[in-house]
Amino acid sequence: MIFLLLIYAFIIIINVPELIKKKEWRELIAFSILYIIGFALGLMYVLGIPIPSPMKGLQHLIVEVLGIKYP
Amino acid sequence: MNIEKGKISSQQLLFLVAGFVQGSVLLIDFTVGITEQQTWIVVFIGLAITTPFFLSFVMLAKRFQGMNLIQINDVVYGRLMGKVVSAYYIFFFLMTLSFNIRDVGELYITFLMPDTPFIFFLTVFTATCAYAVAKGIEVLARVSHLFVVTGLFVIISTFILLIDQMDFSNFLPFFELPFVRMFQGIHIMSAIPFGETLVFLVIMGCLNNTKHMIKNSYIGLLIGTISLLIVSARNTAVLGRTQTIWTSASFQSIRLIDIGTVLTRMDFLIGIAQTVLIFFKCCLFFYALVVSLSQLFGLKSYLPLVLPLAGIEVIIAATVFQSPVDHASITQNAGIIYSAPLMFIFPPLSLLIAKIRGLPRFERGKGK
Repeated sequence: MIFLLLIYAFIIIINVPELIKKKEWRELIAFSILYIIGFALGLMYVLGIPIPSPMKGLQHLIVEVLGIKYP
Repeated sequence: MNIEKGKISSQQLLFLVAGFVQGSVLLIDFTVGITEQQTWIVVFIGLAITTPFFLSFVMLAKRFQGMNLIQINDVVYGRLMGKVVSAYYIFFFLMTLSFNIRDVGELYITFLMPDTPFIFFLTVFTATCAYAVAKGIEVLARVSHLFVVTGLFVIISTFILLIDQMDFSNFLPFFELPFVRMFQGIHIMSAIPFGETLVFLVIMGCLNNTKHMIKNSYIGLLIGTISLLIVSARNTAVLGRTQTIWTSASFQSIRLIDIGTVLTRMDFLIGIAQTVLIFFKCCLFFYALVVSLSQLFGLKSYLPLVLPLAGIEVIIAATVFQSPVDHASITQNAGIIYSAPLMFIFPPLSLLIAKIRGLPRFERGKGK
C-alpha cells in the first residue's frame, strides 16, 4: 500500500506542476482521468478486490455467445 | 497535426521491424503445443499469408505520409466512425502490451527468480519501458540495430552450440496434423509475430523519407522471420515431440548445451535475449498506445500519459490471466480472433477506400 501511494505521489510530482505551469488543461484532464483509473486499479489490486479481466469477457463473447472457437 | 516531432530513417525502420518480430520469439511456444514438429512450416506459411496484409500496412502509411493510424482512420472513415475504429485499435494495443509485459513476468517467475513477487517484475519492467518511451521514437530507432544484433547473436550461437544434440528425424513425419490444428497454428503465427506489426502504422508516420520504406520494412520482417525459423527448427531438432510438454521449449533446449562440461547452463543467455527483445517490442507497443491515445484526445504531447498508462498496464498485466495455462488458452482462441479484423480487414479496407476516394489528396483539397 505504501509503495502504491509513493509511486502515485511521484507520478503527480513529475507531471502536474509542469502541466499547470504550461497551462495545458486538456493534457491535465487526460492525465487526471488515466491517473484516477490507474490508482483505482492499483488500490483494488493491493486490497485484494477482484479486478474483472477484459479478456475473460471477450472470451465469453467470442466462444460462448458467438460460438467462434478452435476445437 | 502529428504529435510526434521525432523523425526516423527507413533504414532504422528495417531494424525496428526486425527487432519487433524477434520480440515474439518467446511466443512461438503458443504454436508449438498445437503444431508440434511442423512449427517451422507454420512460420513459413504465416509469413506468406501475412505478406500482402503487411504490405497493405506499409502502403497505407506511404499513402498517408506523415500521418499516424488515428489520423488515417479519421480521414478514411470520418470523424465519428474513425474514432470508433481507433478505439478498437487502442484496446488492442492496451491488451497486447499487457500480455507482453506479463510474458516477461512469467518468464522470470517460472525460470529465473521464482521467489520474487510477480508484481515486482511487472512494475520494474513497465517503468523501464515507460522511461524508454518518454525518450521518444528517435532514441528507440537509434538503438534498434543493437537489439537486433543481440537477438541474432544469441539465436545463432545457441543454434551452433546445440548442433551435436540435434536429430533431424524429429521433423518427420510432415503434414500429418489435422487441417484445423494447422490452420489454428497459421492463424496464431499470422496474428502474433506478423500481424502485430500493425503498430508500425503509428510509427511509420515519423519517417523522414518514404522512398525505400516498403523494401526496408519487408527486409526487417524477413530478418525477424529467419530468427523465428531458426528458433523453431532448433527446438524441434533438439527436443523432438517433447517440446510440447515444456512451458518454454527454448529454455529447455538451451539447458541441454554441454560443451566438454565447461559450457553448460547457458539458459541465462536466453533469459537475457528474451528480456531484451520483449523489452524492445513492449516499448514499440507502449509508444503506439500513448501516441494513439494522445492523438485521440487531441493532445499536444503524449508525455503526460506515459506514467499513468504504465500504472494501468501493470495492473492489467497482473490480473488479466490467472495462470500461464489460462494465458495460452485465451490467446490461442479469443486473443487471435478478436484482433483479426484489425490486421486483416481494416488496413486493406482503408487502402481501398483511400484509393477509391482519392485520399488524402481530396482531403487536402478541402483544406483539412
